[in-house]
Amino acid sequence: MAESVFGKISVLVVDDSAYMRHLLMTLLQAAGVGDVHLAINGEEAWDVLTSREPDIVITDAAMVPGDGFMFAKRLRSLRGRALGMIPIIMVSGHTDLESVERARDIGVTEFLSKPISPRALYERLIQVIDRPRAFVETPTYRGPDRRRRHAPFEGVDRRGSVAML
Amino acid sequence: MTQQIVHSRLAGREAAAGETPPDVRFIRVPSIAERKLGPDYTAPMRLDPRVLDKMQTTIRKLESKYGEALSAQVSMLQLLVEPAAKGDTEARGRLYALAHDMRGLAGTFGFPVAGRFANSLCIYLEKCLEEDWRDGSVIRLHIDAIREAVDNPGTDPALTMETLNALERLIAANGARWKDAG
Repeated sequence: MAESVFGKISVLVVDDSAYMRHLLMTLLQAAGVGDVHLAINGEEAWDVLTSREPDIVITDAAMVPGDGFMFAKRLRSLRGRALGMIPIIMVSGHTDLESVERARDIGVTEFLSKPISPRALYERLIQVIDRPRAFVETPTYRGPDRRRRHAPFEGVDRRGSVAML
Repeated sequence: MTQQIVHSRLAGREAAAGETPPDVRFIRVPSIAERKLGPDYTAPMRLDPRVLDKMQTTIRKLESKYGEALSAQVSMLQLLVEPAAKGDTEARGRLYALAHDMRGLAGTFGFPVAGRFANSLCIYLEKCLEEDWRDGSVIRLHIDAIREAVDNPGTDPALTMETLNALERLIAANGARWKDAG
């Protein structure tokens, strides 16, 4: 089944490194992805995104001009359009907690640390293709539900939120 | 594409008395697999060893090409140190870009040690000051370590770790000075 799904999806790869673009494109093609679009920065990616409307975006974090964070933020700001909810996989060499949390808080769906491995990429693809998290819209956040586990709340329900849910 | 399932009134912060909490919407997003395959969709999608094998074979094919490119990149790093130390901003930009590429790619293509040294170099370059560029000694130490890792991948891991730790200590020792400089 996996191959048939991959054959039907389109992926936008955004990275300022030609080597990394080539690597990601080659890996995606090996996985059977039929349609891969490439962009070298957030600015160029925006044009490709709006004209091609891919199913998944894989973006590097550090790029000039228009880094991956800015691009992801802009994408998530597309309200009222399905395009604003597409999965974003961010690839980064910065794996410190601050970077990961920053990515999460602007609505990045999955984080992939460099150096990337075929297995890690494949697993992230399966995650976004087949196991989407609910999309959340609040005045301060727009993106996939940041909770990956639904543990019961055992504290004091001061807002009455638990009861409402 | 989407179907709204909950329209709650939960606040992202504590709501004051009498204040209406802002809207929070939870939207169910159908899986891409479900959308693309329609009735042929059977959940859950699992990792297919054949697909993974194809991806890994692809990496192996690219490895030898990358090894040659990496060696050339290290030579380029060595050439860029001097103009970078003299204030050539283009050389500095290229030096960082090469190290950044190595940080991201070397590990994938079987040069994890070179990738770690490149990572350490990137961390240093992201923080260092003009005087550090002009001095250039820490940059040179990193590039020598990368060269060694590329030319002699079989080096004793303990020795590699010792070198890496020493470079990291060197970077950490500069932390206070960089902080003072803002």
